[in-house]
Amino acid sequence: MDRTHRPWVIATAALAIISTAAYVLYAVNTPGGPRGGSAMGLTFGMAGYALMLYAGLLGARKQVPTWRIGRAQTWMRGHLWLGLLNLLLILLHSGFAFRGPLTLALMLLLFSVTGSGILGAAIQHYVPGFMTSRVPLETIYEEIPHVRVQLRDEADELAAAISQNALVEMEHDDRERFREVYLNKVRPYLEDPEAPDAELADPLRSEETFGALRRLLSPPVYGALDDLENICEEERQLSRQIRIYRWLHAWLLVHVPLSIALLVLGAIHAVMALRY
Amino acid sequence: MAGRTRSTKKLAQRINLDYFKTLHGIPRWRRILSGIFVAVSLAWLGWYGVAGNPKPYNAGPLGHAHALLGQKCGVCHAGQAGYRRSATDEACLACHDGPIHHADQRFTPACSKCHVEHRGALRLASTGDRACTQCHADLTTVHGPSKFAPHIRGFDSHPEFAAVRPGATDPGTLQFNHQMHLRDEVRGPNGGVQLKCTDCHRLGSADGSFQEPINYQKDCASCHTLQFDRRISEPALHTNPGVVSDWMRGLLTAYIAAHPREIPLVDEPDERWPRRPPHPPARNAAEWVEQRMADAQLLLWRKSCQKCHRLSYPNGPDALPAVAKSAITTRWLPHAEFDHQVHQMVQCASCHTKANDSRETSDVLIPGVQTCQKCHRAGHDAAEAGCFECHIYHDWSKEKPVAGKFTINQLQ
Repeated sequence: MDRTHRPWVIATAALAIISTAAYVLYAVNTPGGPRGGSAMGLTFGMAGYALMLYAGLLGARKQVPTWRIGRAQTWMRGHLWLGLLNLLLILLHSGFAFRGPLTLALMLLLFSVTGSGILGAAIQHYVPGFMTSRVPLETIYEEIPHVRVQLRDEADELAAAISQNALVEMEHDDRERFREVYLNKVRPYLEDPEAPDAELADPLRSEETFGALRRLLSPPVYGALDDLENICEEERQLSRQIRIYRWLHAWLLVHVPLSIALLVLGAIHAVMALRY
Repeated sequence: MAGRTRSTKKLAQRINLDYFKTLHGIPRWRRILSGIFVAVSLAWLGWYGVAGNPKPYNAGPLGHAHALLGQKCGVCHAGQAGYRRSATDEACLACHDGPIHHADQRFTPACSKCHVEHRGALRLASTGDRACTQCHADLTTVHGPSKFAPHIRGFDSHPEFAAVRPGATDPGTLQFNHQMHLRDEVRGPNGGVQLKCTDCHRLGSADGSFQEPINYQKDCASCHTLQFDRRISEPALHTNPGVVSDWMRGLLTAYIAAHPREIPLVDEPDERWPRRPPHPPARNAAEWVEQRMADAQLLLWRKSCQKCHRLSYPNGPDALPAVAKSAITTRWLPHAEFDHQVHQMVQCASCHTKANDSRETSDVLIPGVQTCQKCHRAGHDAAEAGCFECHIYHDWSKEKPVAGKFTINQLQ
C-alpha cells in the first residue's frame, strides 16, 4: 500500500467512525433496538447498497476502458476502501442480526465477497512482482494459445532447416538422430506443454537434451539448436505464466459471481423489505 | 544462446488483434459462474414465489406467542392502501387489546416500537428499557409535571420504593411484634414452636406471585384463641363486636337453659380476667346470662381483642367498642409486580432484613431497591434488570374484549 492510498484510508476511517458513532447513538436511543427498517437503518442500507453498486461499476469500467470517468487506479482504490466501508454499513443496517433466510444469504454473500476481495487484493499486491522476475518473456494471457501455435511453426521451420541440410551437410545417421529427438521430444512438448510427462518442461532435462544434440551435430547448426532451445524455454515461461495467472485471478471466480448475485439479491431484498 | 530476435515488430506480429473478442479460461468461467449464481438465486426466490410462500423474506423467527403465524405473514402484514404491507397496530389489536398506560401520557407508541417481532423465541413483553425511558427519563404529562419520579434511565437510577423512603411507616393498626413471634421458643397450642415466615405468609395468587393476606383464622387462631367462658368450648367469632356479643349471648342463654341448677352458683375468679368486683349469686337465668356476658365482654374487649386490635369506645365505656380497621397492606409496590415464587431460593430474611428484629407494627419490612439491585443489575453475570421485569405498561384493568375474526384454518 503506497502513499496514494492515504486519502482513501483517512476518508474511509473517518466515515467508519462517524457511521459507528451515529449507530451507537441510534441503537441506545431506539426503543426495541436497531432495525433495518427504521430511518437510520434504511440510511445505512441505502448507503451500503450505493457503495455496492459503485464497487460493481468497477467491472463495467473495465469492460469499457475508453469511458472518460476517472482513472482506473482511482476506481480500484475506491473499490477497495469503499468496499470495506460497505461491509460496516451493511452490518450497521442489519443491527448485527440476520435471522431471515434472504438476509442471512445476503450476509454470507457479503462476507464471501469482502473476504475474497481482501484475499484478491493481497494476491494482486504480491504476485505481479513474482511474475516479472519469473516470467521475463510474459505475453498477454489471452494470446498464449496463439503464441504457442507460432512457436510451434517457428520450431518446425528450424527443424526442417536442420533436417534438410539447409544449414550444413550432415551425416544421414546424425540427421535421423536429430529428427528422432525433435519428433519424439521437442515437437510433442510444443504440442502440449502442459502434459504432465513432458520431459522438456524440466529445464535440466531440456539442457541435457539440447547438450546431447550439440555433441552430436556440427557447430554450424548450433545457432538453430539454440533457437529451438530458446523456444522451449519460452514455452516453459508461458506455462509458468499460466500458473501464476491462475493464482492471480482464480479468486475472481468467487468474487465476481458472488458480487453480482449479491447485487441482484440485494435489490430484491430492498424491494421486499420496503413492502413489509 | 538466442539466435532468435525478439524485436518489437516480431512481437507485434504475434498478437492476434481479435483476441479480446473471445473469452477463455478464467474470464469465461467468471462469466458462466456469474450467470449460474444469479440464476440459482432467482430460482430459489422464484420457487417460493410460485408457491406463494414468502419464507425467504421472513425477517426472522417469531416469538412464542406468534409462532403459529410463521407461515401466515398476511395475518399481521395485512393489506393496506398502496405497496406497503407493514404490521400495523390495527393488525395487533385485531387479536388482543393493548390498553393505554396512563390517560395523561404524552404519546402512545406503535405496538411494534416496543414489542419487536422476528427476533426469535423471546417474550414479546420483554421490551427494552428505552421503550420506557423515552418518557420516564424526562417524564411530563399532558397536564404538566408528573407525580412520579421524573428522571429514570434504568434500574440503576430507579428511585427508592415509596414504601421504604424515610418517614414512611406501615399504615396497619394491627399490633404485631415480628421479633417476638420469630424468637426461638414461642408458646403454641401444643407446646413450644419455632415459627417460620411461611407459617403466616403464604403464596396466595394462582401463579404464586403474591402473598396471601394475613387471616386470623388461618394464621392466628391456633395460638390466639378467643375463649370467652370456661363452660363453652367454642371460641368467640372473629368479627365485629355487635355480632360477637349477640352470638355469645345466644350460646350462654342456651347453656343455662340446659343447666338451670348452675344459676345460683358463683364463679371462681379467673386470673385471665381483668380485676372486677365479684358477682352476687344470680337469681334467674337472665341475670346469670348478663353476669357471664359482662365477664366475657370484659375478657374480650379489654384483653383478648386489644392484644392486636385498637379499640375505642365512642358511645361510652360500657357500650360496644369500635375496632379500628386493621389496614393491612396487601400490595406494597402497587405499580410493580413482584413474584415471590421465582425468588423462593432466597431466604426471606436475606431480603427482609429487618423482620427478625422488628417490634413495631409501623416498621416497614419490605426491602429497599438496593436489595433488588444486588442481583438485578447490568452485566452478563447478573439477573435481568429491565423495566419489564417488574412493571407492566398496559393497564389491563381497562382491557376490552376482542371479537375473534379468524378461523382456525386461516391461522394454520
